[in-house]
Amino acid sequence: MQASEAKAIEVTDLTVAYQEQPVLWDVDLDVPPGVLLSIVGPNGAGKTTLIKAILGLVRPAAGNVLIYDKPYEAQRRMVGYVPQRGTVDWDFPTNVLDVVMMGRYGALGWMRRPGKQERELAMQALEKVGMEAYTTRQISQLSGGQQQRVFLARALVQDATVYLMDEPFQGVDATTERAIVTLLQELREKGKTVVVVHHDLQTVTDYFDWVMLLNIRRIASGPVAETFTPENLRTTYGGRVAFITK
Amino acid sequence: MIQEHLDIQLIAIVTAVACALPGVFLVLRRMTLMSDAISHAILPGIVLAFFLTESLSSPLLILAAAGTGVLTVVFVELLQRTKLVKEDAAIGLTFPALFSIGVILISRFAGNVHLDMDAVLLGELAYAPLNRLDIFGYDVGPVSVYVMGTILLLNLTFILLFYKELKLATFDASLAATLGFAPTLIHYGLMTLVSVTTVGAFDAVGSILVVALIAGPPATAYLITNRLSLMLTLSAIIGSVNAVAGYWLAYLFDVSIAGAIATMTLLVFGLVFLFVPNRGLIAIARRRTRQKWEFAQTMLVIHLFNHEGLPEAEAESEVAHLHEHLRWDPAFAAQVVKYALNNRCVSQEETQLTLTERGRTVAQQALVQ
Repeated sequence: MQASEAKAIEVTDLTVAYQEQPVLWDVDLDVPPGVLLSIVGPNGAGKTTLIKAILGLVRPAAGNVLIYDKPYEAQRRMVGYVPQRGTVDWDFPTNVLDVVMMGRYGALGWMRRPGKQERELAMQALEKVGMEAYTTRQISQLSGGQQQRVFLARALVQDATVYLMDEPFQGVDATTERAIVTLLQELREKGKTVVVVHHDLQTVTDYFDWVMLLNIRRIASGPVAETFTPENLRTTYGGRVAFITK
Repeated sequence: MIQEHLDIQLIAIVTAVACALPGVFLVLRRMTLMSDAISHAILPGIVLAFFLTESLSSPLLILAAAGTGVLTVVFVELLQRTKLVKEDAAIGLTFPALFSIGVILISRFAGNVHLDMDAVLLGELAYAPLNRLDIFGYDVGPVSVYVMGTILLLNLTFILLFYKELKLATFDASLAATLGFAPTLIHYGLMTLVSVTTVGAFDAVGSILVVALIAGPPATAYLITNRLSLMLTLSAIIGSVNAVAGYWLAYLFDVSIAGAIATMTLLVFGLVFLFVPNRGLIAIARRRTRQKWEFAQTMLVIHLFNHEGLPEAEAESEVAHLHEHLRWDPAFAAQVVKYALNNRCVSQEETQLTLTERGRTVAQQALVQ
């Protein structure tokens, strides 16, 4: 890998604070293109905040974020976002297809309405996540795993280069989890960069090729084989990890 | 006389539709209380603009009041952002403060002017047609129709132009933000509309009815449909129906029109709440009852199926013993047997129950699941 190659995500000296309380402290992160990276760390480690800061959803107290060498505002179209499932109102009067089409809104821009093309792209994305039979289903009638897959399809239609996902495995069953992982790995094969906030330490080695250990500060980041070490985990979790799977 | 009937109903319909459209988004954003706050808090704006222009019909009044409305939203959100006060308390603190400033201003400086509290709270639809618009000496109808008509057109245009943006920002504000759709801007755009609508409507129908018109029809439509576009259409229709029905209710009983329309709004909501298929209270209750009997029947057929063809089958299939085996109350057991007999899942010979082919299928299916 040449040093001159643009990084998919480059975070430098990022500090985010709510009131005086630092949530992220002087965090650096370089993500090369085409990796599947998980961010792990204990509760309150700032994992979600880091994703939100990369997306410009929270204002950093200091530091800088670049997506392929440019600020996020200039690269919106390159970035797909899967928020936590619980952040939206699933009783909203709309159906599956409609939610997935929202992923095309950014490409459409202000005032232009989605049409046939958006509908077809949304259908394709739903097929990829195995939800094509649910297009007209009201979103409140979906299970947790189905909701997650709808969110994933919505990110897929964005046709992004970089994907940021906040706990996509939360509350989904084992089958869905496998399906999602396969999908993420396919994205990586296509040269996309995928960053996932993840909770389950046991699956990190299986699912991901890069990992970032975070607890307010960055403890370590890099390829799983080098970074996901007992020592780094102990630093991240403060000695509270009794098991290490390797 | 007929003209007057028509005029009042026209004003009521136009106002109802103008309120219902932005109301849909307030209901979905769980912000209907904000319309209550705005409708009261605009008073100081109206009073101050009145002092400036010394006229009650100046368009400046609407602008000043709408400004105060947006200011209310800003105050509430600033309070909320401190995290020391929750949204409901922030609303409860803000609008009475602003409203009372208006009340004090009126009582101190405008005691002898026609700007009384009754008109503010209840409005008076019956008088609305008296204020007429003259163009070149021709009477072209009540001023209210034109004011509210303009506001309705404004709301409709905004929602049609920014339908996609409003939908996204309401459903998932953070996605809207990451895609560059400035949800805060959309939020304040919507709040400005709500303020303008409230001010315009309040002149015609008073501040209490405004809230009923904004919250009632969308809340009713929300129970009927799960499509946003249909929810908007239905809200407009329901709002109009409430307005007309309310008007005739008031005519019949010779009561306040605004009061009658608000009552009608609640009544229609109540009817839909009870009777709407699938989501109504009655539909839910019926579904629960049916599920209860379905479930008991399934238990019964599984019980019979498990013992079928075995030596103890005879004892287990005895109607009188069901309550013992399944721990059912005898009366309940009898009802379940009746339900299962009706569905031809079991047949009864004297006191013995036997599974029918259908009952066997039901049991097998239930066991496979």
